[in-house]
Amino acid sequence: MADVAHRTRLVDRDGVLGWMFLAPTVVYVIALVAVPFGLAIAFAFSDVTSGDPTYDWAGLENFRRVFDDPVFWQSLWNTLVFTTVSMFFIVLFGKILANILVADFRGKWVVRFLVLLPWTTPVALSSVSWLWLLHSIYSPIDWVLRELGLIETNLYWLGRPNLAMASVIAVHVWRLVPLAAVIMMVGLLSIPRDMDEAARIDGAGYWRRMFEVTIPLTFPLIAVAALFGAIFTFTDMAVVYILTRGGPNNATQVLASWSFLRGIGGGDIGQGAVIALFLFPLLLIAAVLILRAVRRMETL
Amino acid sequence: MAPTNSWTRREVLRIAALSGLGAAVASCASEPESPTEQGAGGEPSPTFNEPASKLSGTLSILLWSHFVASHDEWFDAFATDWGKEVGVDVRVDHVDVANVPTQIASELQAGQGHDLMQYIATLSQFEPSVLDLRDINEEASQRYGEQLGICRDSSYNPHTDKYYAFSPGWVPDPGNFRRSLWEPVGLPDGPTTWEELLTGGAEIMKSQDVQLGLGMSQEIDSNMAGHALLWSYGASIQNENEQVVLNSPETIAAVEFMGSLYRDAMTDEVFAWNAASNNEGLIAGKLSYILNSISAYRSLQEVNPEVADDTFFVPALEGPSTALAAQHVMYNYIVPKGAQNPDAAKAFLLHLSDNFALATYESQLYDFPSWPSLAPDLGDWLTDDPFGSNPSDKLAFLGDVNTAAEWSASIGHPGPSSPAIGEILGTYVIPNMFARAVRGNMSPEQSVQRAHAECERIFSNWRRRGLIGG
Repeated sequence: MADVAHRTRLVDRDGVLGWMFLAPTVVYVIALVAVPFGLAIAFAFSDVTSGDPTYDWAGLENFRRVFDDPVFWQSLWNTLVFTTVSMFFIVLFGKILANILVADFRGKWVVRFLVLLPWTTPVALSSVSWLWLLHSIYSPIDWVLRELGLIETNLYWLGRPNLAMASVIAVHVWRLVPLAAVIMMVGLLSIPRDMDEAARIDGAGYWRRMFEVTIPLTFPLIAVAALFGAIFTFTDMAVVYILTRGGPNNATQVLASWSFLRGIGGGDIGQGAVIALFLFPLLLIAAVLILRAVRRMETL
Repeated sequence: MAPTNSWTRREVLRIAALSGLGAAVASCASEPESPTEQGAGGEPSPTFNEPASKLSGTLSILLWSHFVASHDEWFDAFATDWGKEVGVDVRVDHVDVANVPTQIASELQAGQGHDLMQYIATLSQFEPSVLDLRDINEEASQRYGEQLGICRDSSYNPHTDKYYAFSPGWVPDPGNFRRSLWEPVGLPDGPTTWEELLTGGAEIMKSQDVQLGLGMSQEIDSNMAGHALLWSYGASIQNENEQVVLNSPETIAAVEFMGSLYRDAMTDEVFAWNAASNNEGLIAGKLSYILNSISAYRSLQEVNPEVADDTFFVPALEGPSTALAAQHVMYNYIVPKGAQNPDAAKAFLLHLSDNFALATYESQLYDFPSWPSLAPDLGDWLTDDPFGSNPSDKLAFLGDVNTAAEWSASIGHPGPSSPAIGEILGTYVIPNMFARAVRGNMSPEQSVQRAHAECERIFSNWRRRGLIGG
């Protein structure tokens, strides 16, 4: 009896219960985020290579070598361009898609299912499909454009720097728009109907309701969608690695792929870690700015 | 009733059974004692030498998925059979070639994994974490004679005097061309020099709208093509003493020549390639010439025999200085310091070498041995291809192991395949050097200077670690 009472008291204590629920997440974050992050910092100051795991202090030598490398600066610039442009289109198309998804029409659930497919498809699989779609010889996109008389020869999507950049951005946008759309759809569904009706009665048209009612009310979720889009684009290397391996001539090289190529392909894990670490402060700044904007909107 | 001549069912069955038995006995009696007696086209028989010491336990092997799939079926059974013979439980894991370095790196970092690991390019970057295989390299040379220099260069570090790998085989990288495209431009036997490649390729591009296929992309074949052109112009990344010598008039001339090739005979496609692209282009009939092993041709024989019959080969193209091509594949096996069963790993490598003629045969003449004496029938096979070439002497240009080695070089030539060379290969410094100049982003001089600086940076890094000389 006493034991049962003791257990009941234990479960009734909010502090204990809270920690019990939080513990799996905390363990997960420590094991799969904090430890690798700590290792990356440690490796950045070491001369660890893929063939020699022994730890020797190297000070700032890896940082100096990375900063001397023009490919690093090119990768940093490409990463910023990819992320910014992708984020813009992800939010734009996500908003449009969310508006379509909340509308009432027959087959709405089928459409929602289909829209989510790009997000649920494994990135490696979808990238390989895109590799074929953008193939220099067999590209179906080129074939259609040729049949329509819009082009005479293949465009070599992945062989020309600007087209390669556009292709990588397009694949990122294609992958992440469904996620953004679902997040924003939740925002749209949470707007009280009477607010929209009140705006209609006051004579507000579609665009005015959109910019003065819908967007301000859903801004926090739009920001969350943008943040997710930015993080997934910024840290992803699968699309670049499978489509272009950073080519042509490093035109699509991003920090994540260059870190992998330098650290694993080249065997210099110390330099790879330095490059990877650069993702952190940039992501931190982006996350802080976006979350601060969200809080400001909520307090308005 | 008069007796009939017709046989009863019982008599028919009896005669059939006796005939079958007789045929079986006769065929056994006439079967040669070993398949080698079947003639030049036959598969060699396996040989077995007792290991130097008593073996036990398990042996795990990691290797690539061979481009010729039949090789892997043979290899798995070969390794398992050997294990049964010597009392070792053998497990073989095949990994896609692109993922092998990542797998090796992660296993070495973790300090556990396979006992024996193989890759198709240099593994010099892993030298500090692997066993010195001097004993089996010396044993192999005692058994089979002198090893080819190109194979030794990719498994031995002269600076540390360590055999960090064991290299039992390699694969040449000839030019593959479509005869029907080269015939109209007066070169039915294909180009023999880089200059002929340019003039013939440009003419084919102009008259038949089919381009050449030398990649300038971030992939392995582009690396090989770039190295071949550099060497043929007398240029190289390093000299014999492991000093960076890339920035030279010869390199600039090679880059300028690649510019001419691109302008006259290629399209932007070559900047987008992955390792399979030139194979795909040849199979699609969209490329007049590629640098590749015979694996693309073997695939063609299966999927498009007509185009396969139209595909022929040439050895390395002659440049202003010499005619050299990079090895297409260099088999390197390493034994990690943390291997659970290093003795079995070493014994298996010697057994594999003893039977490398089988590897050559089962890979449909793709794999060449590192010790020329190991495939005595190779010349005959190449002259009369047992795997259905039309004409059957299509591969005779390869001659034998020594002949192919004469126009082949290991990555790093004229120096060893050091970790610095491996990193330059892995970060695509050479294809990018060509691409920058060819696209007009930089002048040839500027692009070569930048590549030279990148190489110097990489070399100094590995020199600091004591793994290379210079």
